[in-house]
Amino acid sequence: MQRLRSLDEFKLLRDRITSEKDPRTIMVIPTGTCGQASGANDLIRMAKRVLLEKELIGKIGLRITGCHGFCEMEPSLLIEPEGTFYPKVKIDDIPRIIDAICKKEVVKDLLYVDPESGRSIARQSKIPFFARQVRTLMSQNEKIDPIRIFQYIENGGYSALAKIFEARNPLAIIEEVKKSGLRGRGGAGFPTGLKWELLAKQPGKRGKYLVCNADEGDPGAYMDRSLLEGNPHSIIEGMIIGAYATGATDGVIYVRNEYPLAIKHLTIALRQAREMGFLGEDIINTRFSFDIKLVRGAGAFVCGEETSLIHSIEGKIGEPRQRPPFPVQKGIFGKPTAINNVETWANIPLIIRKGSEEYAKVGTPHNSGTKIFSLVGKVRNTGLVEVPMGTTIGEIVNEIGGGSVGSSKIKAVQTGGPSGGCIPANMFNMPIDYDSLSRAGSIMGSGGMIVMDENTCMVDIAKYYMNFLKDESCGKCFTCRKGTQRMFEILDDISKGLATVQDIDLLEELAYVVKDTSMCGLGQSAPNPILSNMRYFKDEYLEHVMDKKCDAGVCRELVGAPCQAACPLGTEAWRYVAHIARGEYDEAYMAIKEANPFPSVCARVCNHPCESKCRAGTSGGDPIAIRALKRFVTDRVDPRIYQPKSRPDAVTNGDKVAIIGAGPAGLTAAHYLSLKGYKSTVFDSESKAGGMMFTAIPAYRLPREVIEKEIESLLDENVTLQCETALGKDITIDGLFEDGYKAVFLALGAHKSRPLRIEGENAEGVYPSIQFLREFNVSGKKVAKGAVGVIGGGNSAVDAARVAIRQEDVDSVTIFYRRTRNEMPAYPEEIEAAIQEGIKIEPLISPNRVITSGGKLSGIECVANMLGERDASGRRLPVPIENSEFIVPLDTLIVAISEGSDIDCLSVASSMQIETDVRSSTVVVDPDTLSTNRPGVFAGGDLVTGPNTIVDAIAAGKKAAVMIDRYIKGEELRQIPRIKLPEIYVPPPDNGDSVEAARKRVATPRALVEWRKRGFAEVEMSLTKEEAKREALRCMRCDLEFTKPEIEHEEELVTAEGSKL
Amino acid sequence: MIKLKINGVDVSVEEGSTVLEAAQFLGFPIPTLCHMEGLTPYGACRLCVVEIGNPPRSKLVSSCTYPAEDGLVVRTSSERVMRARRMIIELLLATCPQSKIIQDLASKFNVRQQRFKQEYEDCILCGLCVRMCEEQMMAKAIGFRGRGENRSIGTPFDIKSEVCRQCGGCIYVCPACQLRCTYNEPEKAICGGCANLAPPCLEKENFHDMMCYMDPCVACEIRKENN
Repeated sequence: MQRLRSLDEFKLLRDRITSEKDPRTIMVIPTGTCGQASGANDLIRMAKRVLLEKELIGKIGLRITGCHGFCEMEPSLLIEPEGTFYPKVKIDDIPRIIDAICKKEVVKDLLYVDPESGRSIARQSKIPFFARQVRTLMSQNEKIDPIRIFQYIENGGYSALAKIFEARNPLAIIEEVKKSGLRGRGGAGFPTGLKWELLAKQPGKRGKYLVCNADEGDPGAYMDRSLLEGNPHSIIEGMIIGAYATGATDGVIYVRNEYPLAIKHLTIALRQAREMGFLGEDIINTRFSFDIKLVRGAGAFVCGEETSLIHSIEGKIGEPRQRPPFPVQKGIFGKPTAINNVETWANIPLIIRKGSEEYAKVGTPHNSGTKIFSLVGKVRNTGLVEVPMGTTIGEIVNEIGGGSVGSSKIKAVQTGGPSGGCIPANMFNMPIDYDSLSRAGSIMGSGGMIVMDENTCMVDIAKYYMNFLKDESCGKCFTCRKGTQRMFEILDDISKGLATVQDIDLLEELAYVVKDTSMCGLGQSAPNPILSNMRYFKDEYLEHVMDKKCDAGVCRELVGAPCQAACPLGTEAWRYVAHIARGEYDEAYMAIKEANPFPSVCARVCNHPCESKCRAGTSGGDPIAIRALKRFVTDRVDPRIYQPKSRPDAVTNGDKVAIIGAGPAGLTAAHYLSLKGYKSTVFDSESKAGGMMFTAIPAYRLPREVIEKEIESLLDENVTLQCETALGKDITIDGLFEDGYKAVFLALGAHKSRPLRIEGENAEGVYPSIQFLREFNVSGKKVAKGAVGVIGGGNSAVDAARVAIRQEDVDSVTIFYRRTRNEMPAYPEEIEAAIQEGIKIEPLISPNRVITSGGKLSGIECVANMLGERDASGRRLPVPIENSEFIVPLDTLIVAISEGSDIDCLSVASSMQIETDVRSSTVVVDPDTLSTNRPGVFAGGDLVTGPNTIVDAIAAGKKAAVMIDRYIKGEELRQIPRIKLPEIYVPPPDNGDSVEAARKRVATPRALVEWRKRGFAEVEMSLTKEEAKREALRCMRCDLEFTKPEIEHEEELVTAEGSKL
Repeated sequence: MIKLKINGVDVSVEEGSTVLEAAQFLGFPIPTLCHMEGLTPYGACRLCVVEIGNPPRSKLVSSCTYPAEDGLVVRTSSERVMRARRMIIELLLATCPQSKIIQDLASKFNVRQQRFKQEYEDCILCGLCVRMCEEQMMAKAIGFRGRGENRSIGTPFDIKSEVCRQCGGCIYVCPACQLRCTYNEPEKAICGGCANLAPPCLEKENFHDMMCYMDPCVACEIRKENN
């Protein structure tokens, strides 16, 4: 490489390079650290081989570049000039792609598929991830091979330098940077121009330093690395410009040693720049001298702090010192020093080239330009995202990031690494800039953005960061060193359920003191993760401390096995799954029945919260099909093997308890009260016991004989069933107490659909779904006929539609839902089954009015919706499209938008002095004890919660039994929360077994569509023995962490029995 | 001369003085543990924090390291300062409860409980000994190593230092291990005999866990000589 001796020589060189455009098609392979890790090097080798073999070198070129940002899709391939993007390319795909390039085609099946629309997209610029970004810095990474300075010059590199050498006015550069409004990208956001001005004003006889801070240590942040790897010359050019403006004589790039590729590329780039004459003495004959030295950091997080960084460069221990004096007054070896972040330096050539005005047009007034964020965590598209300042968090997370990965909702975003804080999802419309973030209690930091969903525990996150900080604090300040240790200690206690409420206060108090009294930025911002968490998620902390619960299922010592913790009944799902894997079905049945009086019912219609928390699912795979396994056991085992143990301490004086409502809650309460020795009478207004199980759930999901059998097994000599007796009409609470009942449990269901509130709703042929289902389930009336429309997207809507299609007079059934199919709250398997049965689902449609003729329904007028802004839950709100109204002729309309408790029920309750909440139409109880405002009257189930699941109702019944027992005995109702950890050891099955664990979740077996369509026989079938075993073997056995084989204990038993014999 | 205001009182000090010096000149008491005249200010113990500037933009800084600036407004015992100091003392008590100096501090500031898990360490890493060794004794025999919770003081590679002259300066300045000489449980007593030359020395091979860097033990040597 020839040393340039004048500006003209540089211009000649630049013109020569730019005029020699490469006419070939270029295959661009991003090969940053992320690309290499996912196999980009193999792609390069393969591409080279194919190109050589087929002698295509003259036609197709290769460009090895740094990371382009879409790390989720690495290793990827970009074809220029068309801009075709291939994600997750495999080695074997390369020949096909090269063939396609020769034929000027694209390989359709390898293209990126948009998960929202399901369409494949060829052009990189059209992919939502890229389309919504403003990639001024990152787009350079595509065009430049980082180890070729000519490619940098070809893309406008070093032109900014030429421009300032021509102008010869250092002050004008500072002015330009000031006008651009560039703020330090390292996190604090100090105006760069101002910093330079301060440096320029310092006396410079002994020399001045410029530093590029590339000690990027935040967990989950890596934008600086990708800039260093992908475009090192831009940083060098920025520093030379900075040196020219401020009169600096020496430059230092302080890069952490954990970035070997960045160091390699920087070393090459520095050598090239020196050889070309951009660095060193008398740069391009301007009599201006400046050189850059590379210093490798030894891996201390604190060395990113500027005074520590200075100490580290000087060869001392990396620990901060008091500012003032500021580095700009007294920095490296006592000389004035300005320190800027990598991204700041990379922005400088851009500002000079484009001009400050043009630059400042991007972003918001006090936060100009773009910022690169590294978007990681529980988000679909992880990668580097460059957006203008002022973009909202929601846009980055939901639009660019593509929202959450699985079905769980996004809860918060953590910005700024260990010094930052968490921002909850309801604040996602907040623009990202330095000021808004700091107002929200977080910081910009270097730009890490970690997305968290409901499976992330906020206490655990704070604990993680505190663990990081207690190791990474330099240890000089007592408060920072001990403070982070003590904060970690308390958080650890909280996550283990050992802390008290006072500890939370102490934590907060300590956090403020550490923030106040630490010397450097690390200590001052160390409590941020805790303080911001406490601000937005204090409930979670209190829940850990008071209820000893971790809803996210993360804190091991509180959760034990997540399936058990998630079950409202505390069913040891792990235990029966383990028994099934061992082929011990009786034991499995016992494990189910111990916790659940309705195992066969739950095996069919439970909403299985256990599966949504199953660690096999939250750790990236599919959850175990726990409900299907439960079904397998309950179908196979004779229920009579389970003999409920009545407690030895059971009171036998036979106190009477009245239970209103023979649904799952009421019957469960009666059953458990009976075990405790109470006599209970269950009153119900219907002619049959079963409640909503009977009236609302169709027989093809829950066969009647299953309900009847299960109820029968619960009715013993202590339980009396009294049907066709309604509260308010036949009995009153006062009357019950007079009759000698010691306590009353209200367990009525929610039996009314909410109205649509549109015109013509009361026409003949329009039915609320509850009424429709009830008519059929109880009285067997088939009211639907002709074309049936169902409005709603919940389980009730799908149930109604599936019942309708089974009625003889029905021609077609269509479900109208206002959002998209993915957002329907009904269980996915139910929707799938409905579609199989020929039910049409029309998403994005809302009803406008009901059209009647002669008081009878003739159709509905609908309006089409489009997806608009996102609401707080991250779902897009449906917005009606103007003039899109259309009419659907219908003979029957079923309205299933949501259920409320029966207003009559409620008014009866309130007439008996029971406190009710009119707005949510529920009865008010103390959630811990289920007691109402009237002593001796308890309430639970749908009446209290609004429409809810069966398993929650059973849980309420169970709890009510405990509370009523304590009430009658005159004990304190409130219980100290207990942590339920797995206790019983079930050995893993023998290795010699021939059956292997299934690789994928077992599909639910269903009856043939043709066969089930017109009948009410059960649709879901039982698993086969082998299927069940293979599925059960897939279980990760979270319980084994807590239990251990009781070998000695068993031996004792044997000897004890032996001696008896 | 630099003019500043401490607790509402105007004071002029020479350029280069610290806020702590200015406050001491006026007689305002500021507790310190890691500060000692003759040694470079370090700012490790954070006990000497004072509030500077006007609320709400005021902040806490360590007065021993903060240079006196023209027009600076300082409050040495505002509520915020006292709250911070009491918490620091609580943390100190939780770490080194046996130190007489820390106990006295706690009593002076009316800190009557510590709510953390009790530890019994004999070092608060104030760095007085390190600076004493380097700056006054010109030895540089000991220094800091590690960071965060693994930070400790010792000789390089934990081997006997060739430059240590067993002057005892490190032990003399230590605020956390003063009780070593007067410890009331002899079997737990840690030497320190060299500091007062009255040897309660116990036959102990290993000095590492005692934060004593002198090898051989001076007190033992003296006793040998006397015998």
